Amino acid sequence: MRHRLGAGLFFVAVTLFFAVGLRNVELKTIFSDLLPEDDPFVQVYKDHPGFGSPLTISVMVKRKDGQDIYNAETLRKVWNLTRDIDLTLGVDHDKILSITTTKARYAEATPAGIESQPLMGDHVPQTGDEIAEFRRRVDKAPGARGFLISKDHTATIIEATFIERILDYGAAFRHVQKLVELARDEHHNVYLAGQPALTGWVYQLESQMFGIFAVTLGLLVLALALYMRNIVGVVTPIVTSLVAAIWGFGLTGWLKSPIEPLLMIVPLLLVARSFSHCVQFTERYYEIYAHVRDKVKAAEITMGCMMAPSVLGIFTDIVGIFVIAIAPIPAMDRFALFCGWWAVWLIPTGVVLISLLLATLPAPRNVERLVSSRSSAFQRRFQAFLAGIARLTFGRPALLTAAVVAVGGIFAVYTALQIKIGNPVEGSNLLWDDSEYNEAVRQINKHFPGVNTLEIVLESRHPDDNTRRTAQQAHTAQTMAMLQVLMESGDAPPTATRSYNDYMMGANSLFQGGNTKWLPIDPDDRHVQGASRAALTGGSPKDFSQVVDFQIQNSTVSFWYPDNKQETVDAALAAAGRAVALVGTEHDDFIVRLATGTIPLQQAMNHVVERYHWIIIGLLNFMILLGCSYAYRSLLAGLLLLIPVNLTNFALQATMHLLGIGLDINSLMVAAIGVGVGIDYGIYLLSRICEEYHANDGDWGLAITASLTTTGKAIMFTAVIMLAGIIPWYFLSGLKFMADMGLMLAMIMLINMIMSLVVLPLLVWLLKPSFVGRKDLYIGEGVDLSAYTAADGGPAARAQTKPSESQPASGQISRAAPGASVSRDAMSPAE
Amino acid sequence: MHIRKYDFNYSRRMFMEKTLRGSASAGVLCGIWPLLASGKDLMKAYPDELVSIEVNTKGKVKPGDVITANNVEHVKHLLTEIDFKQIKEDGRKIIINDAPAATPDYLFPLDYYEASVRNAGRAGFDAGGNLVDSKGGGKWIGGAPFMDPKDAVQAYANMTYSWGRHDFAQYAIRDWDINPDGSQAYAYEFLWIELNTTNRIREPRVFKNFENLLRLNTVLFTSPQEQAGSSFLSEWYYDQSKFPELYGYMPLFRRVRQFPTNQRFEPLVPGITMFLSDAWGAGDPMLTWGNYRIVDRRPMLVGGSGRNFFEGIQPDGKPPVHGGPKGQSYWDMYMELCPEALVIDSEPTGYPRAPVGRRRVYVDARNSMLINQITYDRRGDLWKTVIATAGPKNNGKKALKNSHGHVEWGVQTFMIHDIQSNRLSRFYLAPQITGGHKTAFEADETAVYDGFLTKQALTRLGAA
Repeated sequence: MRHRLGAGLFFVAVTLFFAVGLRNVELKTIFSDLLPEDDPFVQVYKDHPGFGSPLTISVMVKRKDGQDIYNAETLRKVWNLTRDIDLTLGVDHDKILSITTTKARYAEATPAGIESQPLMGDHVPQTGDEIAEFRRRVDKAPGARGFLISKDHTATIIEATFIERILDYGAAFRHVQKLVELARDEHHNVYLAGQPALTGWVYQLESQMFGIFAVTLGLLVLALALYMRNIVGVVTPIVTSLVAAIWGFGLTGWLKSPIEPLLMIVPLLLVARSFSHCVQFTERYYEIYAHVRDKVKAAEITMGCMMAPSVLGIFTDIVGIFVIAIAPIPAMDRFALFCGWWAVWLIPTGVVLISLLLATLPAPRNVERLVSSRSSAFQRRFQAFLAGIARLTFGRPALLTAAVVAVGGIFAVYTALQIKIGNPVEGSNLLWDDSEYNEAVRQINKHFPGVNTLEIVLESRHPDDNTRRTAQQAHTAQTMAMLQVLMESGDAPPTATRSYNDYMMGANSLFQGGNTKWLPIDPDDRHVQGASRAALTGGSPKDFSQVVDFQIQNSTVSFWYPDNKQETVDAALAAAGRAVALVGTEHDDFIVRLATGTIPLQQAMNHVVERYHWIIIGLLNFMILLGCSYAYRSLLAGLLLLIPVNLTNFALQATMHLLGIGLDINSLMVAAIGVGVGIDYGIYLLSRICEEYHANDGDWGLAITASLTTTGKAIMFTAVIMLAGIIPWYFLSGLKFMADMGLMLAMIMLINMIMSLVVLPLLVWLLKPSFVGRKDLYIGEGVDLSAYTAADGGPAARAQTKPSESQPASGQISRAAPGASVSRDAMSPAE
Repeated sequence: MHIRKYDFNYSRRMFMEKTLRGSASAGVLCGIWPLLASGKDLMKAYPDELVSIEVNTKGKVKPGDVITANNVEHVKHLLTEIDFKQIKEDGRKIIINDAPAATPDYLFPLDYYEASVRNAGRAGFDAGGNLVDSKGGGKWIGGAPFMDPKDAVQAYANMTYSWGRHDFAQYAIRDWDINPDGSQAYAYEFLWIELNTTNRIREPRVFKNFENLLRLNTVLFTSPQEQAGSSFLSEWYYDQSKFPELYGYMPLFRRVRQFPTNQRFEPLVPGITMFLSDAWGAGDPMLTWGNYRIVDRRPMLVGGSGRNFFEGIQPDGKPPVHGGPKGQSYWDMYMELCPEALVIDSEPTGYPRAPVGRRRVYVDARNSMLINQITYDRRGDLWKTVIATAGPKNNGKKALKNSHGHVEWGVQTFMIHDIQSNRLSRFYLAPQITGGHKTAFEADETAVYDGFLTKQALTRLGAA
């Protein structure tokens, strides 16, 4: 504090440095980075990202009046949609397929040989004869039925694949979605699905994020302004939080590490956390300023007595966020780095910078009123309520409370342990179940093989050897066919299967005259190679990219399933495992790898939650136990603090289970953050109990009551601030992922608050830990202001240091955790 | 002191005026036709800034320089957008060549030139838009119908009616298809045969009485083994509003398959980026495209000299490669200043499902030969380029001559780059490919017909 100018310049310089990094900040959802990278299924996916059509959109045109698609109106609509989709930025013009494109062909034998022509000529069939001829051609094209036209003939699909290098997901989605909306009419429903469409929806809905950010930040500032009602009280938290935010974003900018917007609720939680911390710090400053009447000295004293509890509180936040990085999910790693460092920056900004600001900004003129002991009726009722809660935690009622907590705890733990892993949604879990996208997926799944796929990859051992193209060798083709047969005849048969072998067989039949008896290929390399070339002639390997790579080396066998319920997923993967075991994994030219597609990837996500849920919670508990035990110089203190937060976690999981919600990646993050951030409440309260225990001459009941009626209010204010930052996300976000996070974080912070107000004092009463009586704790030491005021000798100082019944004797200011204060009324400055 | 007669922007203004008029002869100082007819150097029709690369670039570039990402800005005005992008971003280079004298042997096969001069002024179009001999009636009688094209349609007639400027040509071609990461995905060797049945320079004036056909064109793949024996036969009608018949044969199946006639925007074999539509910048019948118009006239860099003929210099006459992620994406190309290129746009009006929105060709105004073709998708975004070099097959060390002792003239190398998917194919005319097939411009045409240009021939070739 003696070198405020130098320190201020230091902060300005560092902030400028990080501000320069802001230009590189990129908000970007990288979907593959949301997957656990150490999972074998994910590794197959990353080695073969092209399989399973990740860059393909599907537009389904469905007659909704019961008619079939064989009429001029519907066919014209499909023609126009197909042509208009070709105008989309980044679309691969060679990979647009519908019943109107030249790639949808039929074949028939003619005296001159085989004639292969498009299903549709150069114009849309208009007359009855033309439409009948079109239908006749469709009947001669087995590939068209099932994959392009639904079995009931009421729906048809248009598929378009994009070139990743030039694809702008947002622009492509906007263009196609507009076409889809315009194509809907009284006779037709039009649905849009596929990964690019999902990405487009997510990007569009993520753009809401800025609005929600504005709303929540506005609410936070409003809460602050109503609470503080002076410049220093409002400006200090805003500047401090802003600087921490610049440092947090700036660092990621310098590291050029994209930020995952789906998780942006957590930074907002940090802003709220920073605000509430600043409020505690500033309030302590008011009290001290009221005593010493020197803003610099008051800031210095505040910094001294708030440093340890602040650092401890922020430490638990940091641990809670950093520990998320243990999960092998790249997006989480990057996010933990971003938010973890942001939380680290709360230490210099929330301890040093705030002190500098308090010492520099004009002192509040309403300090008398801010620390006044007068209470409003509301305050008195509120304190009475908290006192009532306190009475439940000591004396005779404590036994009943303990019994209720014990029974409730056992029930919560038992119920929580029954929770299932995974939250299968038909479509995407990022979006609401009734979202347009998920409805489209459901409808397409209903009429076509759909999007629930499992891919078994036949990976070439020599992908660059163009003299031996693995996917067109006889043994490879036979393995593909064998896998299909095994899966189709197994316990959980898929609804459809497809492999490159199917296309080769189709070409074989076509070039032999079109009779299906020519589908089987002679089982030697020459014939399989010939069939492959026949399939590829007059086209591009890109036409088959869903099943084979461009160089006809790596290939996949695709299996479709009717849904992605966990039992379907388990059965499909078990059947696939048995099939792969039967055909063998190792072959001379290729390896059979299980598996990629939506079903294995869903399993990978569930598996990572299963693997890391307890590891993360366990490690977090251990780290916090170490930190808190050290701060309170008692292992028991650490344990006491951890019990309520863990009980909270169990209570949340039990509630989720009772509501039929499974554990997923959201709950994993919420649990970690819930423990890390939620434990602050306990720290506030326990520190206060330690102080009040001394102030009340070792009377446990009085100490608990005094703590709850003072720090309890602070905890509630903090909780309000947190909830103001989080809960709007649930109501405003179109993204289920964000809304779920918001709801669960709000719930866990709320339950944490209740647990810390009830369970922690109850445990203290029951155990009566000896560390509470010690005076050498890092947390909870008092500071004697009389030394400062005596030195000043001013009348105001002398007046303010006069002991009162609401203050510790001799003007002793407690060096308490954030939220604890010298005056029982100090938490109600806004009266 | 050298007093320049024309200031630096004279030619630019002249080109703009001619483009606005929409119809004009080539040449700036004078028309090129009198010079052409008399066999003189056409460069006399142009001022210094269009003759000398040094003057054109104000001394920044001179013959012998290599154009790279570092100096491409100086010749940006002489390139297409894709050329510039390839050089700036993908390591392509161009070697600047001394512009040879633009005499007939530099611009044409001599017998084609002679027929063109002989028949000058006789070409016209009938009511259906097909090329006719307006003096004698009937089909066109050979040579360039419009030696001094006045508009886009005339220039395109020069390009379409005689692709290679020969009655018969057999190109032994080797091709490499490059992945976006610069690695090789496919490689092919194939024989491309084109035989004009009408519009012929030599006797017979109508081959085998195929009065209603323009040409027969076979593509026979000889390597790799998995593709060997596969072949395609196109029968082009003289009527340019009709789609050519397209037949394919695969040895394994022993059946000729007829492909959709309008399937011209897809590759014949896997991995190659060339569509039938891309051939010679005029791969489709002229009247199946429309809205031909000259949109610009400008100087360009053209690979027109014998230096792109590498026989006798490189093993198998294969040009050196460079550039791209693995240093093997592009041919080395020697290019010189072409004083006047016509920039012609057209649209695939006869293809309701074409993925192409517009085709832009850059044509040497002196001989109507393709320099570069760019296709745009229907959004108007750049999609593909065809870059070709063509000229006399004489590099100073080796010359390929015909039976009259004249140096042969023809296409040397070409590259096709799909810049959206970033896949590239590069081709060169080899002296010989697998199967012993050689590049040739003279042959017993009846034997060639029987051996290569019928459906029965396809089956025999596949069985061989």
